Amino acid sequence: MLLIQLLINGIIMGAVYSLASLGFAIVYNTTKIFHIGYSALYMIAPYFFWQLYTKLGLNISLSIFVSIILTMIISILIDKTIYQPLFIKKSSSNVVTISSIGVVTIIVNVIAMIFGNETKILNSDIANTIKFSGMIVTYPQVYQFISSIIIIIIFFIVLKKTNLGIIIRAFSNNDVLVQIMGINILRTRLLLFGISGIMIAIAGLSISYDVGMDPYIGMPMLLNVIVAFIIGGIGSFAGPLIGGFFIGVIQALTIWMFSSKWQSAITFIILIIFLIFRPQGFLGKKEREV
Amino acid sequence: MNYFFHIIIMINIYIVLTVSSNLLVGMTNLLSLGQAAFYGIGAYFSVLALTTLNLPLIPSLIVAMLATGVFSLLLALTSLRLKNDYFVLSTLGFQIITFSVLYNWISVTKGPYGIPGIPAPKLLGIFQVSGIIPFLIFSTVMSLFTIFIFYYLINSPFGRLLKAMREDELALITLGKNITSLKIQTFAISSSFIAIAGFLYATYVTYIDPSSFNLDESIFILSALLIGGLGNIKGPVVGSIFVILLPEILRFVGLPDSIAANMRQIIYGLILIILMRFKPEGLAGNYRIK
Repeated sequence: MLLIQLLINGIIMGAVYSLASLGFAIVYNTTKIFHIGYSALYMIAPYFFWQLYTKLGLNISLSIFVSIILTMIISILIDKTIYQPLFIKKSSSNVVTISSIGVVTIIVNVIAMIFGNETKILNSDIANTIKFSGMIVTYPQVYQFISSIIIIIIFFIVLKKTNLGIIIRAFSNNDVLVQIMGINILRTRLLLFGISGIMIAIAGLSISYDVGMDPYIGMPMLLNVIVAFIIGGIGSFAGPLIGGFFIGVIQALTIWMFSSKWQSAITFIILIIFLIFRPQGFLGKKEREV
Repeated sequence: MNYFFHIIIMINIYIVLTVSSNLLVGMTNLLSLGQAAFYGIGAYFSVLALTTLNLPLIPSLIVAMLATGVFSLLLALTSLRLKNDYFVLSTLGFQIITFSVLYNWISVTKGPYGIPGIPAPKLLGIFQVSGIIPFLIFSTVMSLFTIFIFYYLINSPFGRLLKAMREDELALITLGKNITSLKIQTFAISSSFIAIAGFLYATYVTYIDPSSFNLDESIFILSALLIGGLGNIKGPVVGSIFVILLPEILRFVGLPDSIAANMRQIIYGLILIILMRFKPEGLAGNYRIK
């Protein structure tokens, strides 16, 4: 019984991991940027929401909308001001990763300076629950699951059916050829960072609405996201979904078998096992180093 | 005056950390986010040797260095086949797992409660290294020793091999050199010297807990190294002095304590981004990370 309840929680969490990890994949598959700054976006969206909703007293849907837009703008600005100049200079991947660490450090500490280090609660009511045959699901969990699934479905429709989708797939396949086809990849990158910013903002909002936030929630989430992305398979867009649900369920099983405190260790042990034995992940293609 | 001595001791500890990390990051181009894990392993083994085994200074130091070296082999064997982002990721995994074990394995490490009352190490059965002046001397001797060893290493045939490897692995393989074994040696040497910093920290502060060895600390060590510069001895030394002195300077400028800590992090972040864009070799280094 406990196991089934934990699995349900794991699948709901897995949906959020999938969404967040898809946003990471959109950036990594196309630009090959190890976007650690992504963790700061996860944390900053609920802070925008807190400022608009709790402080300024705007209505809830407007607050959600504006905080998603603001997060998207920050995501685009990070690419425009930090990553693109390095791309133009043809900097190495480690240089970009280090800059990305710098971005996180700055954003996290600016937020901590403005809002303080303590945990903030977005929703202080006791959550209403849905009960069915002994299982309990809270309303925030329902929002998490439904919003994640809807965004994922919209993204896949865009990816398969529209011109933009074709460009994204082409970009993740070979960025030089995309340029040759006359597509301005610098502008396309901004669009991709925008989409990825929207995704992580929704993930951040839906989780923080449930459990609150502090300025340091981004990094633990990013670690889960990266693990989900890697074991799903780099270069694929369906991989993050498999990886996300896999990590969600594994973490639920960890709680069942050991204790929640070993979650991060088990997650990374799984990552290292994958890196050694199947570095291409579930869906990735095996590439040979030239 | 004690305040001044305290700063010098901290600089000495960071010199040990960064000069030995430089062998890995600067000489071998392996960007590691797991340096604080080695620092922590060194510190915990020092405490184990000093308290449980009740050993004097030099044997304890050797125990800590050997133990940390052995743990580094664990990481080396799993991660050396990986490149760039994947390698960074595996060191990140090592960092998270180590922290998780230090934090959660309460029966052995006392977890978040930490280990208080670490005894002063005995030197040659006569001297007790306790109090600020003996520590000043002890830490200065250890940091000069580390500088001396690494200066010698970098300018030795071994150092030239490492330089050749970071520039062109393939060329070195064709010359019949075993690059895997070279990298493993680098790992072992670099991390066992980091254990010295762990020993200094544990005996100086006389209290350790896992929060001193978390991911943020890893990022901090890496920032100190990258700000100073890679590839020579001068870079890490300059970096250590810089990151330890900056907060003190900010204090004299009259920044309120409530925001000083965040302000300091923001400045580090900004410096990292600016350096990566315009001067990837750091303030005093001679190697640009690839």
